[in-house]
Amino acid sequence: MESTDLGKRLESAFVDRVEWTARSQKRLYVSIAPAQLYPVFDWLRENIPGFRLGTSTGIDLREGVGVFHHFVVNGMPLVVTLKVIASKPDPRVPSLAAKIPSARWIEREMAEMLGIEFEGHPDPRRLLKAEAFSDIYPQRRGFDTRAFKESIGERLDF
Amino acid sequence: MSASTSNRTPGDRRVIQIGPFHPLLEEPVGFELTVEGEKVVHVDACMEYIHKGIERLAQERTYDMVPILLEKICGICSVTHSVCFCNAAEDLLQVEIPPRASYIRTIIGELERLHSHLLWVGLAGHFIGYNTVFMWAWKYREPVCDVFEMLTGHRQNSSLPIVGGVRRDIPESYFPEARRAMDRLDEQVEMLTAAVLDDPVLAARLKGIGVLTPQEVVDWGVVGPTARASGVDTDVRRDEPYAAYEELDWKVITTENGDVFDKAVVRLLEIRESISIIRQCLEKIPGGELNLGQQHIPRGEGIGRYEAPRGEDIHYLRSNGTNMPERLKVRAPSFTNVASFEVSCIGESIADVTITLAACDPCYSCTERTAVVRGVDGRPTHTFQDLVRLSQDKTRALAREMGREPGLNLL
Repeated sequence: MESTDLGKRLESAFVDRVEWTARSQKRLYVSIAPAQLYPVFDWLRENIPGFRLGTSTGIDLREGVGVFHHFVVNGMPLVVTLKVIASKPDPRVPSLAAKIPSARWIEREMAEMLGIEFEGHPDPRRLLKAEAFSDIYPQRRGFDTRAFKESIGERLDF
Repeated sequence: MSASTSNRTPGDRRVIQIGPFHPLLEEPVGFELTVEGEKVVHVDACMEYIHKGIERLAQERTYDMVPILLEKICGICSVTHSVCFCNAAEDLLQVEIPPRASYIRTIIGELERLHSHLLWVGLAGHFIGYNTVFMWAWKYREPVCDVFEMLTGHRQNSSLPIVGGVRRDIPESYFPEARRAMDRLDEQVEMLTAAVLDDPVLAARLKGIGVLTPQEVVDWGVVGPTARASGVDTDVRRDEPYAAYEELDWKVITTENGDVFDKAVVRLLEIRESISIIRQCLEKIPGGELNLGQQHIPRGEGIGRYEAPRGEDIHYLRSNGTNMPERLKVRAPSFTNVASFEVSCIGESIADVTITLAACDPCYSCTERTAVVRGVDGRPTHTFQDLVRLSQDKTRALAREMGREPGLNLL
C-alpha cells in the first residue's frame, strides 16, 4: 500500500475531518482534531492488517503542544503519523493507551516531559522523573538547562 | 533457600525488587515483581535512573555531530542509532546514499548484530546455569569485536555514519582476515547452535515459559527477534530496505511458539544469517564515493527506521531549516519490548523470571542483580544470588528427573 492511496481512502472515509500530506510513498502525515483520534485510529486498525504503534513524539510548537503518533505496518515500508495538537497552556488530548497497551509508556513519558494530560490513560503514574521534578517540563520551549542544574541541589536531598 | 520454604500463607503477596544495577550490562533499570507464593502476579518497571537527555542534547548539535552523539545512547547499538538518524535525515532530504556507503553501513550493522546476539547467548546461558555456553559465546564474540576494530578503528563506536553516507572508508587490506574470522565463527556458531538445540534439558527448561502470543506482540508493539519468535514476520531490513539489504541474499528467521526457547533459536539462526550477509558484502562491495558531501537541510520532517539487534528502532526528525534539528525523537526497541514484561512474566514462577526478563535482550543493566525479598519481619530472605541459584537449581533438577547429566557441563 502506498501512502497516497491510503491518504485518499482516509479522506473519503473522513470527509473534511482529516488533512493529509504524503512526503514520499513511504510516509503519510495526517493532521486531525483531538476528537477524531479514536475514530481515525479505529478505522486504520480495522483496515490495515499488522497496523501497530511504533512510537509517539511530543513536541512544543508555536500553535500548541503536538502529539504525533507514528504507526508502522508489519511487513510494509509505511509509516503513518497522526498529528494531534493540544492547545496551551493546559494541553489535553485523548489517551491512545486506553485503546492499545503499547501507548502506555510513551504517553507517560510525554506527560512528564511536556506536561500533557492524556484523558483516559489507564495507568498515569510517573515513569521517568523523580517526584521532586514533577512540575518541571524539560521538553517545553524555554526550559532553562542552567537554572535547572543549579536548582537540583535545592530539590533533591542527597 | 527457595521461596517456598519461607513461612507465609498461600495467597500472601510480596514484592521482590530486581535491580537496578548489574555490572554485566550497561544501564540501570529496576523491576518490582509482586508474587503470590512462587507465582508472579504483577510486574512494574522503574525506569530512567540515568536519563541522559540525549534528545535535547541532539537539538543543540549540528547534523554532522549528532550521529556521534547518538552512538553513546547504547554501549551495544552504536551503529543502530547513528544509522537510524541518518535514515531519518535522508528521508527528510529524499536522497539515496552512494552504493559503497550503503555496503559499509551493512557490514558494520551486521557485525554489531553478531556481537550483540553472542553477548545475549552467553548471558542467557549463565542465567539458567549453563556457564559453558556463557564462556563459549563470549569467547566467540571477541574476534567479532576485533574485526570491527580492524575495519573501523574501534571495537564499538565506529563514528562512520554521517548524513548522506559514511565518514571514512574501511581498509580492503583487512578483508581477507575478516573473511577468515567469519569462516571460523561460522563453524563455532554451527557447533554451538547444534549443542543448544539438541540438548533435552535446555528444551525442557525453556520451552513454554515467557510466552507471547502474536496478538500480544502487536498490541504491545513488540519488535525484533522477540516478535519473530512469536511468528510475527517483521524485519525492517526486508520491509523497508535501507543500506544494501535489498541486493543481498538472506532470509528473515521466524518461529511459532513465542517462548524463551524460540527466542534463543531465532537469535542463534540470525547469527548465521549475519555471517552470510557480511561474507556477501565483503565480496560484492563496490568502489566509488563515500558520501554525498555537504547537504542543505531544508525545513520539514523525516522518519528513520532501522533493524537493531533487538528490533525496530525509530527516529523522528524535525528540521526548521537551521543546521541543528528542531526535535529528535529516539525510540529504542527495548522501550516497547521491556513494557511487554507485563504480559510475558505474569503467571511464571520466580525461577523462570530471570530468563524471561532476559529473553527479550533488554538493553539495560536491568534484569538481574540486587534482588531482595523482604519477609514479614522486614528481613531480606532472597538475594540476587539466590534468584540465579533458584533458576540454576531448576535446570539441575530437570536434568536429574530426566535421568541424565546435562550435556553442556552444568556449572
